[in-house]
Amino acid sequence: MDGTTPLVEARGISKGFFGNPVLKAVDIALHPGRIHALLGENGAGKSTLINLLSGALQPDGGDIRVDGKPVTRLTPQGARAAGVAVVQQELSLAAELSIAENIGLGAAPRRFGLLDYRALRDRAAAASALVGLTEPLEMPVGDLPLGRRQMVEIAKALFREPRVLILDEPTSSLSAHEAGVLSGLVRTLAARGVAVLYISHRLNEVQALCDYVTVLKDGVVTADRSLADVSAEGLVRLMVGRDPGDMFPAFKPAAAGEHLIRVDGFSAGAVYDVAFSARAGEIVGIGGLIGQGQEDFLLGLYGAIPAVASSAAICGVGHLLAGVGAATAAGLAYVPADRKKEGLVLPHTIAANLMLPSLGRLMRHGLRDRRGEAALVADLARQLAIRGDTGRPVQALSGGNQQKVALAKWLPLGPRVLLLNDPTRGVDVGTKREIYLMLRAFADAGKLILLLSSDTPELVHLCDRVAVFREGRVVATLAHGNASEEAIVGAAMGLATKELAA
Amino acid sequence: MKAASISRGLLRNPPLITLALVALVWIVAGLSLRGFAAVGHLRYILELSAIIGIVAAGQTLVILVGGIDLSVGAVITVTAILLPLISPDWDPTGLLGVVLTLAIAAVIGLANAMGQVFLKVPAIIMTLAMATFLQGLLVLIAGGSAVSVTNEAVIWLGSARPFGVPAGIIVWIAVAAAVLTAIHRRPFGARLLALGANPLAARLSGVDVSRTTFAVYALAGLFSGLAGLLVLGMNRQGYVGIGDPYLMTSIAAVVLGGTSILGGRGSYAGTIPGAILLVTTTALITVVNASPGWRSIMFGSLILALLLISGREAQR
Amino acid sequence: MTPSASPSGSLYFAIQRRRNRGLGGLYLVVAAFLVVYGVLFPGLLSVGGFSKFSQNWFPLALVTMAQALLMLNGGISLAIGPLVSLGGVVAAITMGGPAGAFGGLLAVVVAGLVIGALTGLIVAYMRLPAIIVTLAGSFIITGVALLLLPRPGGSIPDWLSQALAGQQPTAFALLVLVLCAWKLFLATPLGIGVYAVGDNPVGAFRSGVPVERVRVVSFAVSGLLAALAGLFVAAQTGSGDPVIGTSFTLNSIAGAVLGGVGFLGGKGTMRGAIAGSLLLSVMINVMFFLGFPPVAQYVAQGVIIVGAVAIPEFAGRWRKA
Repeated sequence: MDGTTPLVEARGISKGFFGNPVLKAVDIALHPGRIHALLGENGAGKSTLINLLSGALQPDGGDIRVDGKPVTRLTPQGARAAGVAVVQQELSLAAELSIAENIGLGAAPRRFGLLDYRALRDRAAAASALVGLTEPLEMPVGDLPLGRRQMVEIAKALFREPRVLILDEPTSSLSAHEAGVLSGLVRTLAARGVAVLYISHRLNEVQALCDYVTVLKDGVVTADRSLADVSAEGLVRLMVGRDPGDMFPAFKPAAAGEHLIRVDGFSAGAVYDVAFSARAGEIVGIGGLIGQGQEDFLLGLYGAIPAVASSAAICGVGHLLAGVGAATAAGLAYVPADRKKEGLVLPHTIAANLMLPSLGRLMRHGLRDRRGEAALVADLARQLAIRGDTGRPVQALSGGNQQKVALAKWLPLGPRVLLLNDPTRGVDVGTKREIYLMLRAFADAGKLILLLSSDTPELVHLCDRVAVFREGRVVATLAHGNASEEAIVGAAMGLATKELAA
Repeated sequence: MKAASISRGLLRNPPLITLALVALVWIVAGLSLRGFAAVGHLRYILELSAIIGIVAAGQTLVILVGGIDLSVGAVITVTAILLPLISPDWDPTGLLGVVLTLAIAAVIGLANAMGQVFLKVPAIIMTLAMATFLQGLLVLIAGGSAVSVTNEAVIWLGSARPFGVPAGIIVWIAVAAAVLTAIHRRPFGARLLALGANPLAARLSGVDVSRTTFAVYALAGLFSGLAGLLVLGMNRQGYVGIGDPYLMTSIAAVVLGGTSILGGRGSYAGTIPGAILLVTTTALITVVNASPGWRSIMFGSLILALLLISGREAQR
Repeated sequence: MTPSASPSGSLYFAIQRRRNRGLGGLYLVVAAFLVVYGVLFPGLLSVGGFSKFSQNWFPLALVTMAQALLMLNGGISLAIGPLVSLGGVVAAITMGGPAGAFGGLLAVVVAGLVIGALTGLIVAYMRLPAIIVTLAGSFIITGVALLLLPRPGGSIPDWLSQALAGQQPTAFALLVLVLCAWKLFLATPLGIGVYAVGDNPVGAFRSGVPVERVRVVSFAVSGLLAALAGLFVAAQTGSGDPVIGTSFTLNSIAGAVLGGVGFLGGKGTMRGAIAGSLLLSVMINVMFFLGFPPVAQYVAQGVIIVGAVAIPEFAGRWRKA
């Protein structure tokens, strides 16, 4: 394989923003037919590297070579012409346009200056078939569920017949079946000589699929080697420079506390007729495939969407909480999965975000107590190891630190129940561990934690029990010892546990 | 070079830019135009600014929360026409009429909020529709003729000068103090800004969206009503269309003060010099005797120019 | 799940059919109103009656298209009304002069395109919010109109007024032409870009859509449509008026919203917007013929606009529940 010329190659490439170096003399070579994994914590420089390879950014130093020849200035058009296609985490689709129009957007065949719908149909159908997209091509993308849209996004990249395909966390919203189709597809493409760069936080996926790995840590390449003889633990060590064995804190069974949540016949959004109860000091996992009502379950408990129940007792209140205000007053706190859209007010300062839920608690003579607020903010920042000036906009922080702010802002209220919606999604390994330790400490302090997670190992290692959702109902509740990854995934997919073991 | 670095520092603080512009315009005009710097003239400018400043107080709150109120002009007209009609004769002070009218103005604001909270109509449409609705309703109720005011309280507002300061300016100072306190020293202000920047995150953080929306639009109605009373007091007559000029000027004053039209960023501290700048420019254009066409062009260019230098608001 | 569009069938027409989905209710309401109108005023079915009706609708349809185009593209314009006025003013002062009717038409077209494109350039390249740029633009455009023609005046050649606003349904024929032009535009890469840019500008950029160019072209086309509406209005009245277009800003938004075009960009369809403008036009006509005083139309219009936004919202909530 080393004999071939890389299709795209970066040599000694550097890039900084506002004087902060993000990439330092990074080398990466994408060879035809190779599935190349790019690993690294958040903030390690992966997105910057992708943007440089696809021409969206220009390097400060080093050069980019296409087919072995240095390119002086790689533009997005130049990269497209060189056959580089990127599937980003953020979808690039327009909801009102049809699947076919989306797939062809920006690259559609034309005749006499108009879109050639006949040619578009044939080529879009071919691209759709590759990813197993069976929906009619004229269907607006807005009518598709999120996972299917991700497949349209991938079909869109294939439509351009790429020589280099960059996939940034492509499976984050895919079902297991769709992820399987994608793996097969990636292998087929590689067999045809496409160079694939695959970015994922799911190590088992990377190990199963990829041939070769480049690991970034703090903008420097710490490994550039074949994946053949590296274990998952070894990969994590390369990414964080620490042994992964102590990733999760030691499990401690919950002492039986008082019931903080008890609902019967609970329905909200996609959730239908669920019975659920949980006690103080427990960490209860909420698992299942994506979009089976887990989020609506948390939002319904939190009073953020309309909900009904035949009987309910939440934190001593004998009925469902009517709104977010009532929920926070009762001692509930909710940390959303999408911290940028739902968790934080991005353009505002870290301090303003930390203060938002506690406004009005620190008052003097009817005015806000500036000094008291400053002390509270400083205290929270110290507790959660949020470094730097809290007067900066929160959008200046890395994903992990943003997540810490989204969690920390609730602490002054002393919540008794924490509803956490995928708190470690897109968070780097180091911060993940900090969050796990925090959750353990909260549970030890007698708080109830409902942990919705798309990362099954979290559910296995942290939770006292796991409620698995499927089609809006709880289909299994697995106690700590029984909640293996296989059991959770099996229940989520509607298999009985036994069948799966066989 | 030095001037460039100073101006760059200023750019970080939009209210200061606007204030500096006001100072600059006043100095230049004072030196070059006879009579401009006379105390009486400057006081007159401030008196006119007070009206726009008070309307723009409500507009600032609404824009900060991510909305816009296109009904302020109509509310001014409503108060200017209704007050003479509903002030009872047996109340010699006229205060009852004032209170009633202000209550109606606030209720109109509440209705604006209701449309948004319950019917989910966007602010721009709700308030535009409200303005259209009120316009038609007023003509149906009051006919086309002007009404004269006899209400003592309103006449006092329009003409009294305790300690040489026009009552309107005193009212403005009180409104400004209240609004600045609310924005910067009360939880209300922080909630407002959070809601304007990211409504979903604010709601999930426990900000009561409905209550805040109601409060903001009721205040916008109330302040417009107050401004309407001042306009009426100064004009002594109310007629359909009297409030029309204040709609765009209130928005312009907010924008001139560096508040983001998209919400979530800004302060009334910028709107105050914004209102003064607006009135001063209009006065200057009148002095040089420009036609209405030129006035309109210069007005639009001013908004555009300030937008270009102060607010390169990235949309994506 | 239905199988993929018959592999041999036309994708273009399948997409077109699909776009009608969700608009059925609107079409029904429009049809119902038209029937009511036709029953109340059978004159609608005569050539003259139909001509008058389409002449009332035509300028509203044009400004609604102008507004919907920008709203689909993620913007909005508060300068539609002033542009209508300016279009009328330019027509009225040029057509009587040496330029003649054709020169005047050219002047209107150029004015609309240039002003629209300038607005678009500012919005797209300076990254400024369209609402406030067009607010400033509305003052400037009104000012220019007032400078060109301080009070109503100028003239439109009589034969042109007769041709456009006489007893023949010329307006309807022109509208059909405009719609055909729109369909052609929508089938170009730029046209399809209008939807993509409005819905997901970053994604459109990454897909290779020239986002800025799409924005500028949208504003230019929108300006053209509004200025042409102004020319038509001037032909109806026979002269120019620097403030005649004021009410079109609100009406254009109302028409687009009635037709289901969203404020956030990329949501809605042009065919919906045109149906919306027709609905608004019929409503105004019905009220006029039922003898409502003109000001009552304002009251009703306020209610209609709020209803237009609120009703689909409620319908959506019921559908979900």
